[in-house]
Amino acid sequence: MFYAGCDVGSLTAEAVIMEDGRLRSWAILPVGARTEESAYSVMQQALKEAGLTMDGLALICATGYGRKNIPFAQFNLSEISCHGMGAHWCDPSIRAVIDVGGQDCKAICLDRQGRAVDFVMNDKCAAGTGRSLEILARAINLGLEDLGPVSLKSRHPVRITNRCSIFMELEVLQHYYGGRKIRDIARGINHAVAKRVAFLAQSLDMAPGFALTGGVSKNAGVAKSLEKILGVRFRPLKVDPQLMGALGAAVHAGVKAGVKDS
Amino acid sequence: MDIFDEIRFIARKTQNPYLKEARSAGQKIMGYLCSYVPEEILHAAGFIPYRLRTVESLGTEKGDLYYSALNCSFVRHCFDKAVRGDFDFLDGVIFFNGCDHSRRMYDNWRDLYRERQAGPGFLHMLIAPHKISQTALNRYTDELSKLVRALEESFGLKITDQKLHNSICLYNEKRSLLAQLFAMRKGEKVPLTGAESIRLVLALSAVPVEKAVSLLEKMIDACQDRNVAKPGDLRLFMAGGCMEEADHMQLIEDQGAVVVADNLCLGARSVHTPIEEDLPPVPAIARRYLTHLSCPRMVNDFYSRSHYFEETIRDFSVDAVITDKLMFCDLWGGEAFLLKSEARRLGIPILTLEREMHGGGAGQVQTRVQAFFEKIANLTQDDA
Repeated sequence: MFYAGCDVGSLTAEAVIMEDGRLRSWAILPVGARTEESAYSVMQQALKEAGLTMDGLALICATGYGRKNIPFAQFNLSEISCHGMGAHWCDPSIRAVIDVGGQDCKAICLDRQGRAVDFVMNDKCAAGTGRSLEILARAINLGLEDLGPVSLKSRHPVRITNRCSIFMELEVLQHYYGGRKIRDIARGINHAVAKRVAFLAQSLDMAPGFALTGGVSKNAGVAKSLEKILGVRFRPLKVDPQLMGALGAAVHAGVKAGVKDS
Repeated sequence: MDIFDEIRFIARKTQNPYLKEARSAGQKIMGYLCSYVPEEILHAAGFIPYRLRTVESLGTEKGDLYYSALNCSFVRHCFDKAVRGDFDFLDGVIFFNGCDHSRRMYDNWRDLYRERQAGPGFLHMLIAPHKISQTALNRYTDELSKLVRALEESFGLKITDQKLHNSICLYNEKRSLLAQLFAMRKGEKVPLTGAESIRLVLALSAVPVEKAVSLLEKMIDACQDRNVAKPGDLRLFMAGGCMEEADHMQLIEDQGAVVVADNLCLGARSVHTPIEEDLPPVPAIARRYLTHLSCPRMVNDFYSRSHYFEETIRDFSVDAVITDKLMFCDLWGGEAFLLKSEARRLGIPILTLEREMHGGGAGQVQTRVQAFFEKIANLTQDDA
């Protein structure tokens, strides 16, 4: 039986197709102006990869900010439930997930079944998110994907003290014009953003078994800083961490469709 | 137009046909700002008490000239409407030291009146103690007597004990009908949603009390066999200060819940505790308003609020609690913290939300609330 999850976030859309508990295909696309179109495109790409059509899917679960506007999904769940379940599918020993997405970040506690039993989510500030990293990277003429690798070469990171992304940007520019090395500024940026995420995550009582998901998890600099601040090691995931929401949604769809070991 | 449509219509307007009709018949309207301002005294003086509201607000740009961005968005929206002249139909406004944000509206409105020479000229500051004690009660009784005298002198009228007694009886009737309606939410059938109950209380505080009583009677009739609870809906207790945004409440309920009880300014606080009809009127009014289901402004009354919280959770079979405060509201910030530990003690799930009045962020609210409800479902599942 085939079933799927579709995650339409603020920056990217992901789709995952599973077959009887196995990952069959997946796709990631940047989000366009219309949720519906983005969802459709990313789903079509994943279907094409699997050699299927929409009719071949028994059940589809939607998640992400656009979850209510995905017409081909039979039901929807919050990103919190889906990211948790996705990480659990990758590694059942995971009990805590930190998800850093485009415009929000969350910390989630899981039970032994991968179900979310507690969570926190940013609401006052988006300094600990992908968008913030994007703005700060642009200030020093770096691509978002280069911020991690470049920062790892730093030996004298700059300190960024502001908590607001806009003021952070000013501080970054000050360091930039002051002649500080790009790698040191990059590491400062990653550490500052990691601090914002850690501040949120520390408000939860999280059991050992940590995973980092979402687009920002691909930034090794942020991941390293987070591990240092929280005093933990993130478990490696066998699936692209950016796919966790869609993967978790697909797992939930499988459970609902009655697939054993979905 | 059925009763629900009528309530919806009244609730989303600053003014309504009943108010306009009364005004054109020569009746005066007195604005007020808080659930601690006794409508009975205003009614006995011949006014229609009108609770200031932020519906139809165009923003806070004009209000922000007087306030700072770190002030409560309810008062900023409210005062913005005042600056734009939306409340010019009022004959006066009674302000209250509920919190410093609302208390400062008195100062700003006085300045505004001096500048514009328009709008209500009678602006009265009513002060209530922040504690419940015999001394506080005596102080508040004096304060209410001062309000009576101010109304008599400014408008050339006489507020007799008989008039006060009649008003007390009328408002007790209104309170008891509303209490009866809210009590109907105890059962498995829930006759009205949280959004509808906000609209109702908002509407009732903008029409003559006689009309409010007849609207309530119609509403009770319409609710006899009504059930808005969907299968699987969680039974929710909402706590927070001023919540006028029925759509926001609807958004919360749409995630899989129905509000069955609350401690909201436009909710249970309007129905709690009748006024004793056989006591001298002003002291009786003072007693009721000082000791009814209190707002967190009353610093030594958390025990009563906590008792109400526990009792309500039990009597209304509440599954979950959401506290929803306005940003920069220190009173509800402290209360939400205390309620969190109370909820933990009672073993009931609780979620704390914060918002700007008429603000955006529906996606964030939706995600938080949906995840909260999913979490409750996860916690109640067995590990089979």
